[in-house]
Amino acid sequence: MDRFADLRAKAHWVRQKVLDMAVRVHSGHISTAYSQCELLVALYLGGILRYDPADDLWDGRDRFILSKGQGGIGLYPVLAQAGFFPVEHLDHFTGRGSHLGVHAEWQIPGVEVLTGSLGHGLPIATGKAQALLNDGKDNLVFCLLGDGELHEGSNWEAALFAGHQGYENLICIVDRNNQATLGKLDSYDSRRDGPGLNPLGDKFRAFGFEVREIDGHSFEEIFDCFADLRDRRGTGKPLFVVSNTLKGKGLSLMEDQRMWHYRVPAGADLERCLAEIGSPADVAELSTPSASY
Amino acid sequence: MTVPVADAPPQPSTKFIYGMRDQFFDALYEIAQTDRDLVLISADNGAPTMDQFVDNLPGQFYTVGIAEQQMIGMACGMATEGKMVYTYAIAPFVTTRVHEQNKLDICAMNLPIVNLGVGAGYAYDIMGPTHHTVEDITIMRVLPNLTVFSPADGVTAGALAEISYRLRSPQYIRFDRSGIPDIYTGWDLDFEEGLIETRRGADVCLVATGIMVHQALEVADALAERGVQAAVVDLFRLKPINEQKLLSILARFSKVVTLEEHLLAGGMGSALAEIFVDRGVTTPLLRIGQNDRFVFELGGREVIWEKSGLDVPGILRQIDDWSRERGLA
Repeated sequence: MDRFADLRAKAHWVRQKVLDMAVRVHSGHISTAYSQCELLVALYLGGILRYDPADDLWDGRDRFILSKGQGGIGLYPVLAQAGFFPVEHLDHFTGRGSHLGVHAEWQIPGVEVLTGSLGHGLPIATGKAQALLNDGKDNLVFCLLGDGELHEGSNWEAALFAGHQGYENLICIVDRNNQATLGKLDSYDSRRDGPGLNPLGDKFRAFGFEVREIDGHSFEEIFDCFADLRDRRGTGKPLFVVSNTLKGKGLSLMEDQRMWHYRVPAGADLERCLAEIGSPADVAELSTPSASY
Repeated sequence: MTVPVADAPPQPSTKFIYGMRDQFFDALYEIAQTDRDLVLISADNGAPTMDQFVDNLPGQFYTVGIAEQQMIGMACGMATEGKMVYTYAIAPFVTTRVHEQNKLDICAMNLPIVNLGVGAGYAYDIMGPTHHTVEDITIMRVLPNLTVFSPADGVTAGALAEISYRLRSPQYIRFDRSGIPDIYTGWDLDFEEGLIETRRGADVCLVATGIMVHQALEVADALAERGVQAAVVDLFRLKPINEQKLLSILARFSKVVTLEEHLLAGGMGSALAEIFVDRGVTTPLLRIGQNDRFVFELGGREVIWEKSGLDVPGILRQIDDWSRERGLA
């Protein structure tokens, strides 16, 4: 029996919903939402993150920062499934009166801080980690970055400081889909390709992080990686997770392809995508989150 | 290319003198001892009065090293967890260097973070354009939710510790370096008003901020010798400007002159001009400040003033020329 069957169904629904939302308004970053999909589903719907959807500012919650704010379109369906706001809100993505913009904004229930300009999340995460430690709290601080985002120098200022301080309550995850907006990372077949990051894990290890590497589309590996998160006290190191993914994972049209960072399929392209993943199912058909995996 | 030869021997640089920044830190330290959620973050910048935070208040002082983006981001993270955060560096490095962090990590989320910048204007005179801070008023006052202070002396700076703490909102305080004499010792002032009528007058009103308040007082003295009674207003809160109080003072004058050690584009004079236009005030207004140029002249702050028309004779000359051209008495 597949012990992650219901999470796979939820991840599939998130992908359907993201495509549906983007097509409705012809806007939104589909491919980045697809690369981070399993990770967010595992964190929020797989019992890794502590939160209370009825009280989004609950003191005991873990702090999750989506530093790659353009992934908002992929976070909202997960937050809706988790119960932070009604699923119907997704149908009004970016519309008049909606609270769900292209980039994750701090007023959205379940979103901690404003992101969308890259290189802001990790410095902010260090401040949260420090403040929580000062207050004697055991909440964890998660920060999800894009790999292209690591071109921003502010991340390296933050990494240097986080390693120096040895924040054990900080978990920095990189959605390693090997693409930025235009260029690829760590493969050079075009002059559009920017600086590579490899050896990425070694870089953060040198900055004082404990480094783990997973297949970011594998629930098995995600849960194995995060199983001991609350037992890391005494390591003296923040955790850095390289989550290897494919940009656009799940749609053959855009999987690991250039030029789909901020592009919405139409016409025959859209028909091909819908044929592959289908229209969103009724969310009521999805089971409620299980307590543990 | 010919290299110019220095026309004067270098002057010794300023020794440490207890200054406005220190009056602020001493007052803030009193508050910090009563509130463990008050945090100070420095980007490798010090002050003898800052040492008491370092030595006596664990968990309330951090240095991020020379990493201002990290400083503002960290301040944001701590503020979102309930801390009241003060950040500290040389003025350009808490303004131009981190403008986007100020915009997004502080102002857009309306967080209780106060950026403390030391060395406003040409305070770091011989250090060149890297350390001159003559565009900060312009770029900071454009940020929504931000309050901007520019004290002219240590008495004002000391009072801003309590005021900033009570405001619990995004703020920027631009300090001069040490060695500036106090003006308001023993005065009974309400600093909440955001401005001070430093000298009464009748013929012309000089509105100044920061170090230029001292310069305005000297200009007023020089004008008094000619029988001209010049008033001086110290506009130490540059955003929001207390329009009602300011306009009620300015209504008594037929001429207004603004004085700032700052680029003219978008600075304090511009802010006044905006108010004049918006409120239909037609009193002739002369803006005195730095023109559209970078300053590389060495020799000290007074040399910069002399070459920029910001010394007392230069200011008097500009006022005279303007009065004559405009046909003003």
